[in-house]
Order: sequence, then structure tokens, then C-alpha cells
Amino acid sequence: MLFNSIDFILFLPIVVVLYFAIPHKFRWILLLAASYYFYMCWKVEYVLLIVLSTVIDFYMGILMDKLPTQKARTPLLIVSLIFNLGTLFLFKYYNFASENINLLVDKIGMNHHLPVLNLLLPVGISFYTFQTLSYTIDVYFGRQKAERHLGYFALYVSFFPQLVAGPIERFSRLTPQLKEFHQLKYENLSKGFRLILYGLFIKMVIADNLASYVDLIYDSPTSYSSWDVLKGVFMYSFQIYNDFYGYSLVAIGSAKIMGIDLMDNFRTPYLAKNIMEFWQRWHISLSTWFRDYLYFPLGGNRVTKSKWMMNIAIVFIVSGFWHGANWTFIIWGALYGVIYLIEKNTNDLLKLKTNHTDFSFGHILLAIKTFVFVTFIWVFFRSQSVHEAFVIFNSIFNFHAVGQLSLEIPALVWILLALFILSDILLYNKRFDTLLDNIPFAGRWLIYSFLLFSIIVFSSVEIFPFIYFQF
Amino acid sequence: MAKKVTYRLIILAILLIGMNFIYKKWFYEADLQKHSDIINLVRAIPDDADIIYLGESSNITYKELEDVDKRPISAFIGDFFPTLHTYDITKPASHAGIYKVLLNQLPETNKKKTIVVTLNLRSFNAQWIYSDLETVLQKSVVLLQPYPVLYNRFMLSFKGYDIKTEEERTQQFKRKWKKDVFHFPYAFPFKNVPEWESWVNSNGVKNKEGVFDQAAIELACHYIKAYGFQIDFDNNVRIKDFDDIVALAQKRNWNLVFNLLAENTEKAGELVGKDLLFLMQENTKKLVEYYTKKGVTVVNNLDIVANDQFIDQDWTTEHYAEKGRKTIARNVAKSLKKWYNNEYIDVNDAYKTTFFNDFERLNPWNQMHTLTDQQAYSGTHSSKTGNGEDFSVSFEYPINLIPDSLRKTVTIDAWMYQENSNHNAQFNVEVYGVDEKFINSYPIKSQLNKITAWQQFHLTIPLPKTIKNPNFIKLYLYNTSETTIYLDNFSVKFE
Repeated sequence: MLFNSIDFILFLPIVVVLYFAIPHKFRWILLLAASYYFYMCWKVEYVLLIVLSTVIDFYMGILMDKLPTQKARTPLLIVSLIFNLGTLFLFKYYNFASENINLLVDKIGMNHHLPVLNLLLPVGISFYTFQTLSYTIDVYFGRQKAERHLGYFALYVSFFPQLVAGPIERFSRLTPQLKEFHQLKYENLSKGFRLILYGLFIKMVIADNLASYVDLIYDSPTSYSSWDVLKGVFMYSFQIYNDFYGYSLVAIGSAKIMGIDLMDNFRTPYLAKNIMEFWQRWHISLSTWFRDYLYFPLGGNRVTKSKWMMNIAIVFIVSGFWHGANWTFIIWGALYGVIYLIEKNTNDLLKLKTNHTDFSFGHILLAIKTFVFVTFIWVFFRSQSVHEAFVIFNSIFNFHAVGQLSLEIPALVWILLALFILSDILLYNKRFDTLLDNIPFAGRWLIYSFLLFSIIVFSSVEIFPFIYFQF
Repeated sequence: MAKKVTYRLIILAILLIGMNFIYKKWFYEADLQKHSDIINLVRAIPDDADIIYLGESSNITYKELEDVDKRPISAFIGDFFPTLHTYDITKPASHAGIYKVLLNQLPETNKKKTIVVTLNLRSFNAQWIYSDLETVLQKSVVLLQPYPVLYNRFMLSFKGYDIKTEEERTQQFKRKWKKDVFHFPYAFPFKNVPEWESWVNSNGVKNKEGVFDQAAIELACHYIKAYGFQIDFDNNVRIKDFDDIVALAQKRNWNLVFNLLAENTEKAGELVGKDLLFLMQENTKKLVEYYTKKGVTVVNNLDIVANDQFIDQDWTTEHYAEKGRKTIARNVAKSLKKWYNNEYIDVNDAYKTTFFNDFERLNPWNQMHTLTDQQAYSGTHSSKTGNGEDFSVSFEYPINLIPDSLRKTVTIDAWMYQENSNHNAQFNVEVYGVDEKFINSYPIKSQLNKITAWQQFHLTIPLPKTIKNPNFIKLYLYNTSETTIYLDNFSVKFE
């Protein structure tokens, strides 16, 4: 069930009404049933994976909790890791691994080939796997007491607003809110709807309208002039941002209506002055996950400089690989690591200060530089293969190429994009729902009307599923 | 809080009404042209239309090399009623679910109309009902639903129509095949389509020489999948669609005809046998009975077209060659006699001497790719020539259908629009006999004294007597210059 579908438009109000209508002690059952139903709308069978993951981590948590030392808990952690990462590997990485091993085997002249599996990637597997893993690891380190209520734990793993594409929540943040008694509050309703409205606007009106032009370029880059390919590449930056940011806002808004606060996943990342700041503002729940569960355990920055640089490289490469089983994602992550290290070392060397709080000319220049870097790195993310990425770059820098086709982007799309950029600047370090608090009633309703009208009238009629669902 | 929420819901309702108004006034038409241009097929039907034929590809498919007269079934029906205005709405791959939406769009007029709706037996089959073409078809009619226009656009934006992936649709019809159990009045060894298909697949089909023939096996399986069903009149979605059409016809006081298309029963019998023919005949019989009871005139063409008249010999389609199309047209025309007896002329003696094309419909004259919406004398389209497009839409007709006494002259009337006068465009008349031909050109410049304006072009010429057995005439605008000349409302009259 997609957020931008009639099904969800009906599903959410029904769940919300029932949520507030039934006694508190039954609400977890309602939310769990709704979450499983939500997930089963994609493929019924794959709910078993979530259930299995839930049951294993629930009992591993309880068993670990009973053991006094980390050493004693280690085998249980390993069981959890093997199951969760094993499932992830099987569905997401096995074919990639087997194809590459087969290539290697071919090179050395052996005949034995690993089979390729015809498995459909379960929607959101990377998200819920990381969410449940964070719990097990926290219990292992003693940072979290094990949950004794299987229902609430299952709900933590599968809470429908953030089940398939995050934000990846921590147990200590989400579960107390799920257990808490929430009353229907006008403020929550209002803020939740504002976020949903803005989220749908940027997904359906901005991202989806850009998607068709981006697809044209990536499907046939050599048919277009270098200027058109460049336009397509920059359009993708806005497409993926609006697509994922839009999804996250609808997720946060849907939970907010029920009184549950999910963490922010984006804070105007394209206004970041450098790559480090970009990753503090882009997909925040994943960045912090990698920080807490990979970077810190590797030693973080409390190690020698060379080890620290290695840690940074590992985190970015693993982060890239998390997104997908393709060399393009690995290169995408590695490039971030390289630029991050270059920027960090240059800043340290020149003792540059980049912590401006408000817009300045310097900020704008740095933000443009970061945005250009990010845009070119997205080429690897969007391309189906490394070769395709190089074709794109070649098409951009082949200034003499005369395109057989021309990328005609209607004025309306440019206007909507300009409006979004303006709103993103206004939202610098703010969230849409709180920004509207300071606007008078008439102004707020004027904005609501514009957003609602745009969603209905200017949305793309083509089907573009949320990009991050494939991860 | 309840007061606050109610207050805001009222504001929202008012806003939505305002938005509906704004959308309808400034955006709806552009959206229609972009996402539901199927509406233009309906808009091209003038108010004075007497007979409207709704069809799919069966109406317009012809045999490229062999058909002398490539016109659609609907045009052949029109030949039987020369004084009536016969039009067609043709949309390939469509079915009753689409026709009913289009018919709802026909404006109400005082003139009594006759609606002929194609009834394709295969369209009741699960494979068609759950066809992967369905998503595109359903999407094309969302904006035409009888609800407020903003609501329709909302449904289009939020994908509120039957939207499924190809894989999901395949699973749907496979499930249906498995679920639908045959009920033959005699012992039949297979429970359902998969069992029957599987048996044919493993036991094979022999050709005339008695040798197992893989192509025949595959085709036999297609026939089983296409016709191996028994219509469930209570639940079949297509029945509901046709019922809706019946209800609409009653409401609008139309004469309603269902044109049950011919299927290749000859091939079905040869490849699969009597059991499949039984199902085809049983379904047909039930459909005829069911809709006749509802007051619809059902024309049963099931087995009136011979195998050699089916264009696709390796697939199950209702694409007919000229003779096949004419046979069906004759059958339909006969059924229309009860309303138009005075206007009916038996086609053996009939001759059509006037022809007209306003280039607004899928009227398969040649060079239809020259149609453009850049200029139009009437409607929205004309034929564009010049700059490498030398030939306009051309009129081609088997002239031997017209008695000698009524084809002494041909009169051409058309509207033309020239962007400048730097051209030597001419109107060409070509008449072909068995071994002889007549080709003549008539410069158009002498009649066109204005630029960038529509002007009437008129030409009457005697047809050559020297050609004893003329069987074909071709009329078109020929423009090899770089000047754009548009042609519209092209009429031809033989006298």
C-alpha cells in the first residue's frame, strides 16, 4: 500500500478513528493488525519474515537480558545477527555475490557456477532489519532492557508508518510512545495533516513530475545533448530528495496524528555546506544508525588518524552497500567517504570555519559546491551499472554531441521546482508543521489550498513507487 | 475540538467546490486532451448522427495487400443506408466497460439514434478481463466518469482505478481459469482450462498429414484459453458493463444493437474439437437470449465468417478481411431494417456515390499520418502537406461498385489553407483499370487567392471512358513544395 494511493487515504483515517475509539489496552493489537495488513498488501507471504525476525529477536533479547556478561550474551547476539543479516543477504545480496563469484570463477577457468535465485526483494527489508538489529545490539551492550511483551515488540518492528522506508527508529524512543496513552489532540491532528499534505505535495507533484524526465535521460543518455543530460542529472537530485523526504513526512505525519513522534529524517540537506553536514541532514535515521552501530564500535575517531580514515571509508562503503546490491552503490558510498575525508582534512589544514548558522554569501557558495558534488555522486546511485554511470558522465562532458532528442520540460514543472527550492530555504532548520505555526489562519489556509489543489491537479498520473522502497 | 474540526471541514468543503470550479474552467480540457483524448472520438460524432457504431480493432483492421476496399465494418453498414449519417467510435482493445463510459459522454439530442455496440465473445474471458492492457484503458476513462471533475482528477492522481502490474493480472486470470469448473451436459474429462490445456500440450495436435505439429498445439492451447469458459451471468464484469449500456440506452431512448462478432469456429473445431465449439455456441446462445429478453437486438455472427477471412491465422482475433467485414456489416444492416426500412438499400444494387471525410475520426483513408491539429477548417484536424510530405490523405475506392451511368463525372470539394503561394501543388486524379490507367493533375493555385486563410476548392472532371473496366480511383492533393498546405472536409461525389 503506497502512501500516495486511494487505499492509504482510506486506510489511515479508519485506523486513526479506531485507535482513538477503542480502549488503550487494545490499541497495540489494532496497530499491529493494521501494520501487518499494510505490509501484506505488497506480498502476503513476506509478512512471515517479519514475524520470524520479531520472534527470534524478542526471545534473544529476553535470553540476553538474563545473562550477566557481554561475553555470555555473544552467542545469542550472533544467532540474531545470523538470522537477520542472513535473511537480508539471501534476499538482497545473494544474487550479487553469486554473479560476482561466477565471474571470478570464469576468469580463473573453473566451470562450477553458483545458482542465481529468483527471489523478489521484500519491501523495506533493509529498514526493519536494521531497526530490529539496533534493539538486539542495545540489549547486548546493556543499554536497553529486554522487552517482555511480544505484542509491543512486534509493533516496534512493524509500526506501519515507518515500516517500509523508515525513519529507522530506536526501541528506546518508539516503544514508550507506543505504550503511552494518547488522547486525540487537535494540535497533533493539525500538525500531522500539515506534514502529510506537504509530504504528498513534494512526492506527487515535484518528485513524480521530475521522474518522467529523469527516466528519459537515464534510459537513453546518448540521444540527448550534454546540456539536457546535465538537466536530467540535476533533476534527479531533486527527484530523489522529494521522493524520500515526501515519504518520510507522510510517515511522520501519520504517526503524529496518533500522538507518536517519529524522528526527523531530513533537514534541508541541499543547504549543507559540506559533505559531513550533508550526512547530518540526509536520511538522518540511517546516518545515526551507522554512527552508533558501526562507526562507534569500530572505534570512531578515538583511534589513530589512519584507522579513523579507514573507519570513515568502511562506514560510507557499507552505507552504500546497504542501499543496494550493485557496484554502483558501493562506488556511491566510497565517493562520499573520499570527499568527506578530503573536505575534513582540507578544513583542518586551512582551519576553515564552516559552522555559519544563518545564510551568508559564503554559506550559499559552499551549499552550491556541496549540492554539485552530491548531484554528480547521485549518478552512480541512479545508474543501473557502473558502465551506465560512465555513459552519463561521458554524455555530460561531450559538449560536441548533438542530441537527436530534446528534453522539453514544461514551464509548470520549473515553476513548481522553484517554489520547492524557495520553501526549502524557508524551512532551513525548521519543519513544515512548526513553520506554519507562525503564519496567520488565512495565510495557512491559502497554503493548504495551494498544496491540496496542486496535489490533485498537478500530480503526475504515471506510477512512480517510492524510490527507497526498493531498499 | 469538535467545533474547531467541524468549522475547518466546512471551510475545506467550500474550498473544494471552488477548486472544482477553477479546475473545470482552466485545467480540465488540457487534462482531457493529455490523459483521456479518447473523448475526441465521441466529440467527433455530430448531433445529427443516426447510427453510431462502437468497435475495437475488428472494425478497422484490414488485409493490406488483398483488400480492395479497406473501409471499416461501420462504413460498410453505412453503405446500406446512404441517406443516413453513420459514424463510428473505434478504440482498439476496448470493450463494454469502455464503451459505456464513452456512450455516457454522448450529448443528449432530440434525434433518435441507433447504437451498434460490438459484443466480442472473448471479452467475457478472464484473460481479457484481466488483460495487462486494462490498466491503460481504465486510466484513459478516469476523467470521463460521471462525477465532479476535481474528484475524477483526484482519482487519477491517487491511482484510484483498476491498476495492477502485468504479473498481478496474469495471476488473476490464471487463478480464475483454475477456479472456473466446466459444467458440460455430458461427460467431459477435464475440470478446467489448465487441465484441458495441459492435456492438449502433452498429447499434441496432428496436422492434416497426421503428424504432430508444435505450432498447431500452441494455437490449440490459445483457443482453449480464449474460448474455454462458461459465462457466469451473475458475476461476470463484462455482463455488468453490457447491462449498464442497456440501462443507458433505455434512459436515452436509443435503439440498441449488440453486434456479436464472428469467431473462427472452423479453426476452433479443427484444432480442439466439438467440446470447444459447444462452449462457444452455448455462450453465444445464452448471450443472445439474455439480451434479447432485455429488448436488445442481438446480431449473431458467431460462425458466419469463413476461416480464410480471418487475417490472423496464428492467433485468436476478430480481424477480418474485406469479405468477412462485409458479411458482418450486411448482417448488422439487415437487423437495422426494422427501424430504417425506407432508407435501406440492398448492397448488391446499392451504390455509394458520395463520400466525405472531415479527418476527425479513424476513417482509414490512406496517408492518415498526415493528420495534424495545427490547423482545421472544422473540428480539430486537417491533413498537412509540404516540406517532404508530398501526399495528402487520399481517397481510394473500388469504383467498379458504382454503376457506369452514375460515374460519368467526379466532383471534389475541399477546404484548403496555404501558408504562402510559392508552390505548384496540384490535385491528382488516378483511375486504374485491369491493364490501363488514367492519371491527371489539376493545379490548385488558380482557386486559392488568399494566404493563411481557409478557401474552398472545387473540381468537377469527367471520368475517362477509355478505361473499360475501371476498378479503382485515387484522389489526393500532391504538394512537393516547401509551402505547407492543409486540406480539410474532403468530399467526393460521383454523378
